[in-house]
Amino acid sequence: MESVAAPRFSGVPGWLRGPLPILLSLPILALAQWATAQAPFLVYIASIVGVNVILAVSLNIVNGMTGQFSIGHAGFMAVGAYIAGKFSLETKDVYLPFMQSVAASDQLMFVFALLLGGAVAAVFGFLVGLPSLRLKGDYLAIVTLGFGEIIRVIVQNTEMFGRALGLSGIPQRSSIFMVMFWVFLTILAARRIASSAHGRSLLAIREDEIAAEAMGVNTTAYKVRAFVISAFFAGVAGGLFAHFVGIINPGSFTFVKSMEIVVMIVAGGLGSTTGSIVAAVFLTLLPEALRSIFTQLGGGDQTLAQRVDQIRMPIYGMLLVALMLLRPQGLFGTKEIWDVAPKWLSRRRKGMR
Amino acid sequence: MNLVPGEPLLHAKSVSIQFGGLRALTDFNLEIHKGDLKGLIGPNGAGKTTAFNVLTGVYRPTSGDVFVSGNRINGRKPHQINRLGVARTFQNIRLFKELTAIDNVKVACLSESYSVVRRETLDRLERGTSALWFTNALHALNNYVDWWRALLLTPGFLREEAEVTKKAEGLLETMGLLHRRDEEARNLPYGEQRRLEIARALATNPKVLLLDEPAAGMNTREKADLMVLIRELREKFSLGILVIEHDMKLVMGICEHITVLDHGETIAAGGPAEVRTNPKVIEAYLGESFAAAHAAAAGSGA
Amino acid sequence: MNDLIQHLINGLAAGTIYALVALGYTMVYGVLKLINFAHGDVMMVGVYMGYATAGHLGREHQSTFLGATLVFLLSMAGCGLLGFLIERLAYRPLRDKSRLTSLITAIGISFTLSYGFQLDIGFLPGASPRAFPEIIKPHEWIVIGDHDVIIWNWQVISFLIAILLMLGLQILVFRTRFGRAMRAVSFDHRIAALMGIPVDRVIAFTFMLGSALAAGAGILYAIKDTAVQPLMGLYVGLKAFVAAVIGGIGHVPGAVAGAILLGLTEEFVVGYAGDVLRGLGAVLHLDSLGVGFTGSSWRDAVAFGFLIIVLLVRPEGIFGRVTAEKV
Repeated sequence: MESVAAPRFSGVPGWLRGPLPILLSLPILALAQWATAQAPFLVYIASIVGVNVILAVSLNIVNGMTGQFSIGHAGFMAVGAYIAGKFSLETKDVYLPFMQSVAASDQLMFVFALLLGGAVAAVFGFLVGLPSLRLKGDYLAIVTLGFGEIIRVIVQNTEMFGRALGLSGIPQRSSIFMVMFWVFLTILAARRIASSAHGRSLLAIREDEIAAEAMGVNTTAYKVRAFVISAFFAGVAGGLFAHFVGIINPGSFTFVKSMEIVVMIVAGGLGSTTGSIVAAVFLTLLPEALRSIFTQLGGGDQTLAQRVDQIRMPIYGMLLVALMLLRPQGLFGTKEIWDVAPKWLSRRRKGMR
Repeated sequence: MNLVPGEPLLHAKSVSIQFGGLRALTDFNLEIHKGDLKGLIGPNGAGKTTAFNVLTGVYRPTSGDVFVSGNRINGRKPHQINRLGVARTFQNIRLFKELTAIDNVKVACLSESYSVVRRETLDRLERGTSALWFTNALHALNNYVDWWRALLLTPGFLREEAEVTKKAEGLLETMGLLHRRDEEARNLPYGEQRRLEIARALATNPKVLLLDEPAAGMNTREKADLMVLIRELREKFSLGILVIEHDMKLVMGICEHITVLDHGETIAAGGPAEVRTNPKVIEAYLGESFAAAHAAAAGSGA
Repeated sequence: MNDLIQHLINGLAAGTIYALVALGYTMVYGVLKLINFAHGDVMMVGVYMGYATAGHLGREHQSTFLGATLVFLLSMAGCGLLGFLIERLAYRPLRDKSRLTSLITAIGISFTLSYGFQLDIGFLPGASPRAFPEIIKPHEWIVIGDHDVIIWNWQVISFLIAILLMLGLQILVFRTRFGRAMRAVSFDHRIAALMGIPVDRVIAFTFMLGSALAAGAGILYAIKDTAVQPLMGLYVGLKAFVAAVIGGIGHVPGAVAGAILLGLTEEFVVGYAGDVLRGLGAVLHLDSLGVGFTGSSWRDAVAFGFLIIVLLVRPEGIFGRVTAEKV
């Protein structure tokens, strides 16, 4: 857990340290946008990966850093997706006169839709976080699961959200730039929280709630805040998802989706942001890769490729069990990739001596 | 020792606590002033740790009151009581095991930076009002702004982080743990874990320090060092200290005042010499027959 | 009035089935302090075993008394074995690890079973629901008025079977040596081991017993629902879990009471919530939002809403005791 004040950016004036990584990211993202302009499939895959990374990193704030166990993350994603999607549908033809072009106006509206979706999801995060004041472990897990299901039932019964059919025709305003920008923001926020006093308080709650409370940490407030932040980013991820697939329905946000994210963070190591990222990227690309390989192998026969989606779920289940039995700490444990890498090296060096 | 007369820092007034039918603590009284070094002893299950838990807000007293610097704290949460200046260690070491030694201490360096409402203002309000929701809201406001400062890495935030690191390093040095700075707490030897817990408690800027069996599992030398250390801490941080301890020699050696509990009741209180010869204490510790023999021996010796 | 009685009967019938499943949760929680998330899916596997057995017996034999008994016994035995294997292979190695590890494992097993059974590879049945064979030929047992209140024979039979199994369990736990061992393990399995109680065997047997009960309950549920599908375990399991929590998890009569309470609540929500919501909607002008008001579509949300309320108001459940963490 390295301090932010470490001399990594020591030459940079204080006021610039905060926004610097964001400023640096913009030209790179623009470059990525330009480079992928002719590759819609690549953009699609990258967007899915990006959304999953946001979901995994944000869930890791609750499950990994704070040590609570939420298994209803798809619920927050659903809230964000539906709110942002509905907003964009309703304001499809609105043009902000102070913007130079229609495209620019659309993008600004899109950002607003994402923030709105995130904010409403954050409110739900607050509501779900409240039970965590009194409940621990298994009980909290069930409540979050119940919450996810309740969201689904509400959406399914609400005409405004298209009931079981969902929303369609959501303007596809997403871009690789926007998705990756939010991915970057989420990771940056998670890292900065982790290395601040707040992050330490969250970690303390994970390690020993009673001791944390005795050391002056308002554990109840912190747990709720962890839920709020996590839900906000999940809501944004939902909003992004809605805007690049264009169609959403309650089936996209079931328990299965929540479990997928849980598998990612458990595999990456609960508490490790980089572990979550690696696992999210890998577990998103793996089925896609298998699908295209099977499509190649089977020639015109699509059944094998379609099987991938079916087989994925039981494999996730077995993966969880195997992980718990063989490597319960996941890929990196609670460490980050740079904490772990030198240790392997040094161990090897010791062995050689 | 009471150089500063007036309000005790920590004051338990006929505190009782009951779990179902079990009276875990009955009519418990205690005053800790600045500079006090008091002991709390008693056989296993006498209610010592329960007393700690009441004083730090883990349990709410069934009857009686606890005051910290004149504030009644019944029903307040442990973190609020900690903020008022009471810190503790735990009998069965409760470190943040997977965090490094320095992070353990940094957690306890108050996370609230009081950037909107200043600490003095909040303290004054908290003392003056019973409307805790109001001060709680102000704390929440501070905290909310703090999150943004952390996310945006404002210069003020970076400065505070650097200060916290310095403070934590200073405390580690005081406790002779600076060489363990970046080691995970769970990897420290037992004695060092106990000292790290004390460092962590000190990081909360306490006025009163409660130590729950600080010498448990230590050898004779470590215990001797600990005795010296506890005295030093009292001077250096101008603390009032209350120690739970099983080791009679240690308690008698450093405490100026000792309270003896048995079955939740205070059976004796006073200076070490007074307590040592109290027949009730001997009986509680060694059993009735031994107490009788002891009394007889003392009688014949006189 | 007749309406009310009918709902009461349906709720009671559903509640007793939930109770049987809930007992499995409560027993396992009692001895291991583990919420066996996969319990509902074990039940689902049991139903498929029953389905397969009935299929082998054929149409004429399956609905005889002997045939139906065989279906019950075989699937209960099969599930007992499954429960044994799960405990032995997945939970036992993790017994001394953190509770989170066991919880994640349980979720993993649940996922493997419920989605594994949705594949149509080899013997696996595939995702589409199948009609459960009529091992108890349904007929109206008691009819009051002009079909105002109907009590079906399967409702009575499942009620009786459930009561019988619960009584058996109560006797086992409180009247036998094994039950005493179980209670000792539940109190503290380390100390129980020191007292010479074969803890591993007790826990394994508890798992088997719970799984067998679940299989029985599952078949009763399938008779009521007339269908089997791989995801049934997830939902029935969750509801039973809710029932166990409402009653105070680890508390045997509590689980039964909680289950019956849940069964009745669900039934009444389905029966009357439509009216209430419509009334409420008219007052609050909710119809402009287009919120649907058919009670049955809210059935799944009832259990969770109930659960959240209970956990917030009285987390230890109706009959549970508060256990404070030792500081």
